[in-house]
Amino acid sequence: MNRFMVLLLSLMVTSVFVHANSEHTLGTQADSMKSSGKTYHQSSSMIRKMHPEFMNHKRDKTLRQGVRTEEYSLKGCVSCHASKKDQSNDYHAIDASEQFCSTCHQKVAISVDCFGCHRTTPAEGDK
Amino acid sequence: MDSKINRRDFIKATTATTAGVAALGAGITLTTYVNANENPVTNEKRWGMLVDTNRLTESDIDGMVTACQKENGWGNETHSTGDQKASWIKKIKVKDTATQRISNLALMCQHCEEPPCVDVCPTNASMKREDGIVLVDKHRCIGCRYCMMACPYDARSFVHEDITNQKEHMPRGKGTVESCTMCVHKVDKGGQPACVEAVNSDAVIFGDLLDVTSNIHQTLKRVQSTQIRADLNLNTAVRYSGI
Amino acid sequence: MSIIRYEQTQGKSLGFYALVAGLGAFILAALASVYFMEHNGHHVTGMNNHIVWGLPHVFALFLIVAASGALNIASIASVFNKKIYKPLSRLSGLVALALLAGGLMVLVLDLGRPDRLIIAMTEYNFGSIFAWNIILYNGFFLIVGIYLWMMFERRMNKYSRKVGIAAFTWRLILTTGTGSIFGFLVARQAYDAVIMAPMFIVMSFAFGLAFFVLVLMASYKWTERPLGDAIVNRLSNLLGVFVVAVLYFVAVYHLGNLYLAENSGVENFVLMDGGIYTQLFWYGQIILGSLIPLALIYSPSTKGNRSMLGLASVLVILGGIAQLYVIIVGGQAYPMELFPGKEILEGYGAIALYAPTLAELMLGLGGIAVALIAIIFLVKVLPFLPESLADDVADPHHKS
Repeated sequence: MNRFMVLLLSLMVTSVFVHANSEHTLGTQADSMKSSGKTYHQSSSMIRKMHPEFMNHKRDKTLRQGVRTEEYSLKGCVSCHASKKDQSNDYHAIDASEQFCSTCHQKVAISVDCFGCHRTTPAEGDK
Repeated sequence: MDSKINRRDFIKATTATTAGVAALGAGITLTTYVNANENPVTNEKRWGMLVDTNRLTESDIDGMVTACQKENGWGNETHSTGDQKASWIKKIKVKDTATQRISNLALMCQHCEEPPCVDVCPTNASMKREDGIVLVDKHRCIGCRYCMMACPYDARSFVHEDITNQKEHMPRGKGTVESCTMCVHKVDKGGQPACVEAVNSDAVIFGDLLDVTSNIHQTLKRVQSTQIRADLNLNTAVRYSGI
Repeated sequence: MSIIRYEQTQGKSLGFYALVAGLGAFILAALASVYFMEHNGHHVTGMNNHIVWGLPHVFALFLIVAASGALNIASIASVFNKKIYKPLSRLSGLVALALLAGGLMVLVLDLGRPDRLIIAMTEYNFGSIFAWNIILYNGFFLIVGIYLWMMFERRMNKYSRKVGIAAFTWRLILTTGTGSIFGFLVARQAYDAVIMAPMFIVMSFAFGLAFFVLVLMASYKWTERPLGDAIVNRLSNLLGVFVVAVLYFVAVYHLGNLYLAENSGVENFVLMDGGIYTQLFWYGQIILGSLIPLALIYSPSTKGNRSMLGLASVLVILGGIAQLYVIIVGGQAYPMELFPGKEILEGYGAIALYAPTLAELMLGLGGIAVALIAIIFLVKVLPFLPESLADDVADPHHKS
C-alpha cells in the first residue's frame, strides 16, 4: 500500500512539471529574455521548488530589516512574468487564470495569497 | 547558505546586467534597485519628524494628506463609508479653551518608542524596526484590530474591502490593518516621506533624531516641542511645536 | 443521599429534532453571514475604524465570560466540598466547554483574516494579553476535558478534587485575562481600570450560572426527569448573590471613574448623555439585568417559582449582553482625550457612530446556537445528566 501511494504521489507531482513546460505562460519580459537566449534564474526547477522559501525569507528581510535588494523580490518576479494584453500596453493580472502563477498553482491546487495585497502588474514609470 | 555567498554575488551581478539590458531592449522600466542597501537597518539611527504648527498652514496639511494618498494608494475605497475609509494622516484643528487660540496640525502614526500597538499584537505583526519605524507585517496580521483599540492616536485603519491597483511599493489588502509607514520605502533609499516633501519647508522637518548634526536634532534642541499625550510616556518620534 | 445514577437522554422525540433543526438553522445563518462578511470585506458591517469591535465581539465575550462562570458549580462541589452540587458537576463542565466553543467560534470568524488563525497559534507575542488569552482558552478546553474524564471514569474519581482545583484556578486566571484585554488599554478612558479584571470574574459568576440554570431546568423539564426544589432554590439564591456582587463591582468601577477628574467625561457619557449607551446601561444592565431579577429571586410572591427563576435568568443574560455592549462599543464610541484642556474642532473627537447589521447579529446568535446544540447533542451521547435530581436523591440533608 505504501509503495502504491509513493508511486501515485510521485506521478501526480511530476505531472505538474511535464505540463508546466508545455502550456506555460512565461510572461512578456521573460519570453523575450528567453528567446534572446539569456537566463535569469540559474535553475528553473530549483526556483519552482523553493520559491516559497526564497520569497518568505526575502520578505522578512525587506519588511523587518529594510533590505530592499532585487533578489527574490516579488515585484521583481511580477515585472518579468506578467503578460501584456494583445495589442496594448496593459498587463493581465499575474494571478489571473491562465497567467504565470496559475499555470502551476491551479494544477497543484495551492492558492496564492500574495496578490490580495501585492500589486498584480508591473508599475510603469513607478519607482 | 553562508558557503554559497560567492556564487550568489556572481549570479546577482550577471543577472542584474542581463535583466537591465533586456529591460532596455523591451522598453519597460524595471523596478529600480539603485542604492538598495544589503545590510539590515540598525538602531544607530532613529527616524523622526518635527511639525511646527506655527508655520504649518491648513493648505499645507491638505497637501500632506493628498501626497500621502497618492504615494501610498489609499483614500479611494469605493465601498467603504465614512469612518470605514482608510485614514493614515488627518488634519486636526484644535482650540485652546482658555486662550481661544486655534492650531492646525497633521496627525499620523507617532512611531512611538514604546508602541502600545506592538505590545498588544498577538502575532507580532505590529512591529517596530530597529530604526524606530513602526510597521504592520501584513503577512502576519490576522485582522483582530486589537492594535487599533490600543493606539492612543487613532492612527490605524482597517481595510474593509477588496483592494486593487495597489502601488507597487505599498501592498494593501482586505482584512489587514495599516497605518503610516513614514514612507519607509523612500526612507530606505535615502529619501523623505511624501508628506514632508509636499510641504517642502521648515514647517515639517524629517531626519535622524540621533544624528547630532541633523537639522531635526538641532532644531529640537533649540525650539520648544512636545509629544501628543506626553503623559503616556511613549517617547514618540513625531514631535510638535506650537501646541 | 442515595447513589446518583447518570443516564443519557433519549433524544428521539419530535421536540428534540425540532430543537436541533431550529438551532441548526441559526448556525447556517451564522455561516452565511460569515461568508458574506469575509467575501465582501467588513464594509458590509457597521464596524469601522473607530468602532473596531462590535456586536459579534459583544456576543463572543459574553459567551467566553459565561463559560468560565458555568464551571462554578463543579468547582463548588469539588473544591469547596458542597455535596449537593456534586451531581451537577458533569453538566457544569459541559456547559462551560460548550459556551467557550461558541464564543471562540464567533470571535475567530470575525477576524479580518480568519484563514490565518494558525498564525495566532504559532507566532506568539508573549507580551500581549490577547496572546495569553489564546493560551488560556486552549488550556481551558484541555483542563476541563481532563476534569470531565476524572468525573466520568470511576477509577479516576479520586483525582477529581485535584483537577477541580486546577480547573478553578485556571478559569480565574482566564477571566482575569479576559478582563485585562480592556483593563490594560491605557489609551481609552473607559478601559484604563484594573478593576475590570475582578469585575469580569464576578460577571462570569452571574452569567454562567444564569445559563446553567436555564439549561438545567429546560433539560429536566423536556426529558421529564425530576428536579427537586432543594437544588433549584440553592441555585436561585446563588444567582441572587452573584447579581448583587456584580452590582457592587459596577458601582465601585463607576464611582472610581467619577472621582478621577480625567475620566469624568466618559462617565457622563455612559451615565447621562450617551444616548443608546445610557439607555442600555440604566434600563438594560441595571434595571432589567440586575434589579428585576433580584426582585424575582427574593420577593416573597415570586420566590421559589421556577418560571420566575427562568425569567430572572433570561433577564440576567440580556442584562449581561447590554453590559458588554456598553463596555465594548460604548467604550470605543467615546473619543480619546488627545489634547487635554483643548477642544478639537475638526478631524477627531466626535462620538463614533455604530449601527449593527443583521449579519453581525446572526453571527453572534450563531455562537449561542453552537453552544446549545453541543450541549443537546452531548447529553444524548454521554451520561451527563443524573437520572433524577429529586430532593430525596440529591439533597444530602433530606429527611424522608
